[in-house]
Amino acid sequence: MIQSIMNAAVLGSIYLLFSMGMSLAWGTVGILNFAHGAIFMFSSFAVYLITSMTALPAILCVIIAALVGAILSVLMQTLVYGVIRKRSTDHHAAERNVIIGGIGLAAILIGFASHATKSGSFGFATTDQNPVLEFAGIRITAVSLTIFVVAIAISIALAMWIRRSRGGLALRTVGVDAETAKLMGINESRLAIGTMAFAGLLAGLAGGLLTIHLVAINPTTGDGLLLKAFAAIILGGVGSVLGVVIGSFVLAFVETFMILGGVGGWASAVAFAIIFLVLIIRPRGLFGRAEVRRT
Amino acid sequence: MNWIAANIIPLQATVTTFLLALSFQFPMRLGLFSLAGVGLFGVGAYSSGIAFAKFHWDTWSSVAFGVVVAALVGLLLGLVVARLGGLYLAMATIAFDMIVVVLAGNLTPLTGGYMGLFGIAGKVELWHLGIIAVIVAVLFALSERGGMSRRIEAVHDDAALASSQGINVSAYRLTAFLVSGAVAGLGGALMLMVRNTTTPDAYGFGLIVVALTVAIVGGTKSWIGALIGTIIFTWLPVFLTVVGEWREVVYGVIVVLAALFFPTGIWGSILGVRKRLAERKHAGQRDVVDEMATEPDAAETEFLQTVAGKDSEQ
Amino acid sequence: MTASMTGEPAVLETRDVAVHYGGIKAVDGVSISLGGNRIFGVLGPNGSGKTTLLAAITRLTKLTRGDLVFDGVSYATAKPHQVARRGIARTFQTVRLLADRTVYDNIALGTDVPPKGTKRTSKERRDAIDEAIGRTGTATVLKRYPAELSYGSQRRVEIARALASRPRVLLLDEPTAGMNQHEREEVAALMSKLRDEGLTQLLIEHDVQMMVDTCDYLYAMNFGRLIGEGAPASVVQDPDVREAYLGKNWDKNHA
Repeated sequence: MIQSIMNAAVLGSIYLLFSMGMSLAWGTVGILNFAHGAIFMFSSFAVYLITSMTALPAILCVIIAALVGAILSVLMQTLVYGVIRKRSTDHHAAERNVIIGGIGLAAILIGFASHATKSGSFGFATTDQNPVLEFAGIRITAVSLTIFVVAIAISIALAMWIRRSRGGLALRTVGVDAETAKLMGINESRLAIGTMAFAGLLAGLAGGLLTIHLVAINPTTGDGLLLKAFAAIILGGVGSVLGVVIGSFVLAFVETFMILGGVGGWASAVAFAIIFLVLIIRPRGLFGRAEVRRT
Repeated sequence: MNWIAANIIPLQATVTTFLLALSFQFPMRLGLFSLAGVGLFGVGAYSSGIAFAKFHWDTWSSVAFGVVVAALVGLLLGLVVARLGGLYLAMATIAFDMIVVVLAGNLTPLTGGYMGLFGIAGKVELWHLGIIAVIVAVLFALSERGGMSRRIEAVHDDAALASSQGINVSAYRLTAFLVSGAVAGLGGALMLMVRNTTTPDAYGFGLIVVALTVAIVGGTKSWIGALIGTIIFTWLPVFLTVVGEWREVVYGVIVVLAALFFPTGIWGSILGVRKRLAERKHAGQRDVVDEMATEPDAAETEFLQTVAGKDSEQ
Repeated sequence: MTASMTGEPAVLETRDVAVHYGGIKAVDGVSISLGGNRIFGVLGPNGSGKTTLLAAITRLTKLTRGDLVFDGVSYATAKPHQVARRGIARTFQTVRLLADRTVYDNIALGTDVPPKGTKRTSKERRDAIDEAIGRTGTATVLKRYPAELSYGSQRRVEIARALASRPRVLLLDEPTAGMNQHEREEVAALMSKLRDEGLTQLLIEHDVQMMVDTCDYLYAMNFGRLIGEGAPASVVQDPDVREAYLGKNWDKNHA
């Protein structure tokens, strides 16, 4: 039982690391990045390419993945998303085209990776082991523990930064009212790039950690996580750090215990049922802002 | 007619994808960002398959059954989600689509579970598909003429304005969901009849992505946009067989370029050019731009034109 | 119920209408009575509730209490689109035209949904459109797109659209916002002409001078209530009204 809780907690942490960046970008600068999963996967793919030439310590693998993720995300923002938004006269068209752009970018990244790996899975050649730790009768791998700790640490740090720092204030302002934010001197473009860089960093970080944790992932792993991220974010409320934390863990726990309870076939429906019900009953989720803009 | 035989699959796909694209295009034309078409496509396929295999109905009754069931499901969905806006509606409809996949995969006695349905040997010829496509296109074209097209555009551009003109906005939105269901159901049913088999994951996230890009890159203002998108994404891989393995990358590049340079879709860009040409023609006419007299008296109008014409131009 | 001042039967009335949101009483018991082919005005500073009153009349917001009556029949629970079908037309604070449609098409939108219980033939529709075009002087720009016109002209097109539906009452929500003096005078002149031809209008405006010059009867609102009503000249002399927002400059500039 405790073991199951631990497993669910690790799963939740994975969802959290993956969804956090997406929620931040969506809730503040309003970019819903459909290529977030592809960034997650491709960062890991890049490390795979590097380690196929020379094995590296696990920590380095993860750091490189995070950096690749940040770079990819910044490129996407400056070359595609930023341009789309600058050119758009109307908010809804911009939203749609950012989504389409993301779909295209994802296809490009997934296409490259699939071609190189013949759609098979890939992992890292690390110089470390992933020891199984045991205490009080619970078994957990070092990497699983790391994932959990990193996810919680980043959440706390992010929540504090958003609440206390000037950058965080700027981010929150843009999230509430982008036009007023501009009038107040906030450089939205720079903020967007910074936010996307951080989101990409988190995606790459998650990719690196998960690849080590699962030993291997395949080119479409990221897309599968995308839908889970939607569920976690919508349940928790777009733009809320606490929301995405709660959302990720609730999702993970419900899924884990459904599988345990023998109704595993329906477990994948959990995410979607959550999205659907939350949107109908309380669209802003647990901790989200009430939507200021009426559509 | 060898070419037709050799390309029967993309030809069939052109029709079924066209119908699927319309199921996305029509709600978007009213301003509803609904992605439910894929799920409804699946509902149409499965209902017609069940009617054919389990109730032993003939081909066309089964197809009709698929259309009706999908239309009703679409309507019910609309009743539940229509008041959601923008991205939230998109999310809810994606969730609906994925729930359809899970139901199809788990209701095994009815749907064949994850193995799906097979042996649905419907008697649907290519010329059937052709006629159906033409009829559907004509119906959509009719909705793009005159008063109906104005009213739909009002609902899309400005719901409060539409209401103030007497248009029942919620009725229009529900109708959009109904139509989306009908046309998606038709597409799904026909596709099952020509393919003979189907599995749940055919209607998953992958198809959502395809349908969305086809509809938006083609242009959501008109059925013509849906057709343009369909032709591009169905036939490009066929003509670029050289691209073969890199198909996904090429597809991705096209989509990104479309998002950047054709924000209203290819058809939307064509319409935009037409409008700009008309505006330029007007500006070229050096008569009255906007100095309009309250009393439409010819002599006074002319006098005002000459006097005020120059400084009233923006 | 008679229309204020004219003694004729009222076409549109609000009876003790209140709109409360949570703790805020945006409108708190307002009764107005329109009819007799006159121009009525609602004067009030920002936050006085006049925009909410208009939203109540057009059923875009729920009534906390009170009644809305058109031609003697209550419509307080009607849906927004049903308001237009009774013969109440309105313009918005910012001009709302369909950007991708010509001026003619925009005006024609006004005839697309005929008043309740009637059916219009296409000839009748074309006549209504032509009539609206004639009354607003928009004949020369029918083929243009809204973006090509000045703001004042766009406003005219919007009024033409409202007229095309052959309304019994026309509500104008701050029609001159963002206009220069010349454009304002044009709108005022058009309103007077429409009144003379036979149309009841309700004007909500910030420009006090324009209200005084154009309206036949004024209502003054503040904090959701009526604080005065009557002939414009006397309403602006009323000390409560003055105190509410006219300020001391009124005497100097407009006596």
